[in-house]
Amino acid sequence: MKPKETGIPLGRWLLAVPALALVSVFIATPYLNIVVMSLRSPSNVQAFGPEFTLQNYVRALSDRLYLGLLGDTLLYAAVTVAFSLLLAYPMALHLARTQSRYRGLLYAAVLSPLLTGVVIRCFGWIVLLASQGLVNDGLRQLGLGPVQFLYRPVGVIIALVHVFLPFMILPIVNAIEAIDPRLEEAARTLGASRTTVLLRVILPLSMPGVQSGVILVFVLAASAYVIPMLLGGGRVQTMATVIVQQLLGGFLWPFGAALALVLSATVALLLVAFALVTKRGMRRLA
Amino acid sequence: MSRLTIRELTKVYATNPAVQDFDLDVAEGEFVSLLGPSGCGKTTTLRCVAGLEIPTRGRISFGDREVTRLPPEKRNIGMVFQSYALFPHMIVAENIAFGLQMRGLSGGEARRRVDAVIDMVQLGGLHERYPRQLSGGQQQRVALARALVVEPALLLLDEPLANLDAKLRDEMRVFIRSLQQRTGITTLYVTHDQAEAMTMSDRIVVMFGGRIHQIGLPQEIYHRPATRDVANFIGQSNLLAGRVVAREDARIAVETAVGLVRCGGPPSFAVGAAGHVMVRPEAIRLVAANSGLVGRITERHFLGNVVNYRVTLANGTMISVQAVGEETCRKGDEVGLVLDEGKAWLLP
Repeated sequence: MKPKETGIPLGRWLLAVPALALVSVFIATPYLNIVVMSLRSPSNVQAFGPEFTLQNYVRALSDRLYLGLLGDTLLYAAVTVAFSLLLAYPMALHLARTQSRYRGLLYAAVLSPLLTGVVIRCFGWIVLLASQGLVNDGLRQLGLGPVQFLYRPVGVIIALVHVFLPFMILPIVNAIEAIDPRLEEAARTLGASRTTVLLRVILPLSMPGVQSGVILVFVLAASAYVIPMLLGGGRVQTMATVIVQQLLGGFLWPFGAALALVLSATVALLLVAFALVTKRGMRRLA
Repeated sequence: MSRLTIRELTKVYATNPAVQDFDLDVAEGEFVSLLGPSGCGKTTTLRCVAGLEIPTRGRISFGDREVTRLPPEKRNIGMVFQSYALFPHMIVAENIAFGLQMRGLSGGEARRRVDAVIDMVQLGGLHERYPRQLSGGQQQRVALARALVVEPALLLLDEPLANLDAKLRDEMRVFIRSLQQRTGITTLYVTHDQAEAMTMSDRIVVMFGGRIHQIGLPQEIYHRPATRDVANFIGQSNLLAGRVVAREDARIAVETAVGLVRCGGPPSFAVGAAGHVMVRPEAIRLVAANSGLVGRITERHFLGNVVNYRVTLANGTMISVQAVGEETCRKGDEVGLVLDEGKAWLLP
């Protein structure tokens, strides 16, 4: 996009004031507050002590325990991204191109994970995945079970994939809908089978959607709290659950703040790296 | 290169027939246009030939090979779309090489053929460009090159010039036609532009409402239209309702509102039959008011090389006249009209 040569008229700035106020009051201020808090010394009587220190960061970045947790959190997020992408792409492909009159219904089905509260949904998964639950009953019938899903990363990842799937599907649907169907037809007339058309035309042209979906799901999964908390039952720890323990259990607000910022910064760095890696491919589509 | 045979092609969507009982033979190396207004079924017919639609009924063959139900990738065709449909994520050379890759051709041989076709469509030096970096005319040439490089049995063009400006369109008409003649490729061309069809085609198929009204040489379509729709669609025409009063060898005498006209016509008209005499505006001469059919000029449109007049006769009949050269008559003038009966044609 080219920068505008003339300045934005004052009237437009005025229109932006409510949004700017919202962002500064509800996002910038709390963030700054956390940054300041992470640099404070701990205290037993207040949220934080009077001195400024880097000790919280030294501890967060040198303790094997926390670095391992950070690694686990990012790994769960990455696995969640991989499985949602695998499940989302075929669904997006169908949704984007279907002529069915049940199209609206299909969209509603895609959005259905977002229609109930996260706690209710988690209890639903607990019931399904329990050792005496429906899933394990089925696996037992097939001679494959029982499998321990709950209180292990696998259960957490199943629930994460379920709830974040719409965030992967919708951007990809949009990207595929934006591809001119004539391109597929042109490829067919040139001798490409349906599979080749998918691999050589649709897949590369839908990459912007895949990129958005990957970023959204990764960020959401890396910062998820309720799902690892409930389905992990305290035995699956992620950065989010540990941060909350520091704040509420340990009353270590400065250290919790430092952990939160380490997580944010790491995720942000990974996203920048991801954007750089995919940039070359995206440039072709610009 | 191959013949194209279409027999009783019918395509029905839901309950609406888009094409009905379409029969056509295209000879090897022939350039045939499907001409008609939008919704006449010409594009549906082309898409059936391409394999992008499966006909409800009928048969399509390339040479002796029946292809009616074959998917497009198995037909060995080249198709150019109105929107060009170039792959936006591939450079020009990759776009053109796509069809070759699909045929298992790569490396030096593929590069040689891509270079040759790029020269043929005069796109030298643009190998590395992305489609979005090209002008409309250049994109059009890439689309042509991409379709031609695979040496298809049949070249299919769907309104390829509709998105170009008028001057470029005239250039591309000549370019496509000469390219087609040089390569000798059998071509089916869809257009709603009669001038395009006239200038480029060996033969024209005129369609209305999913049916063929006439198949013929451009001259036949223009001078001897088979139906009133054809006469009205191709150029301008005066249609005079009348009744056949006599047949004299090749001529047919028809009594009309402007008197007895001795015109040409198909042999199917018997004495007493009703019909319409078509007279093209340029087949009528304006003369002094003391001879011919007398009328008054009610409209005059100066177009530069020609002048179009509307003349209202005493009995109320309106006649369009086209005159070449300097304008001698003004609106309101009383004039005489002389019909060139040799160019008048009887149709239903």
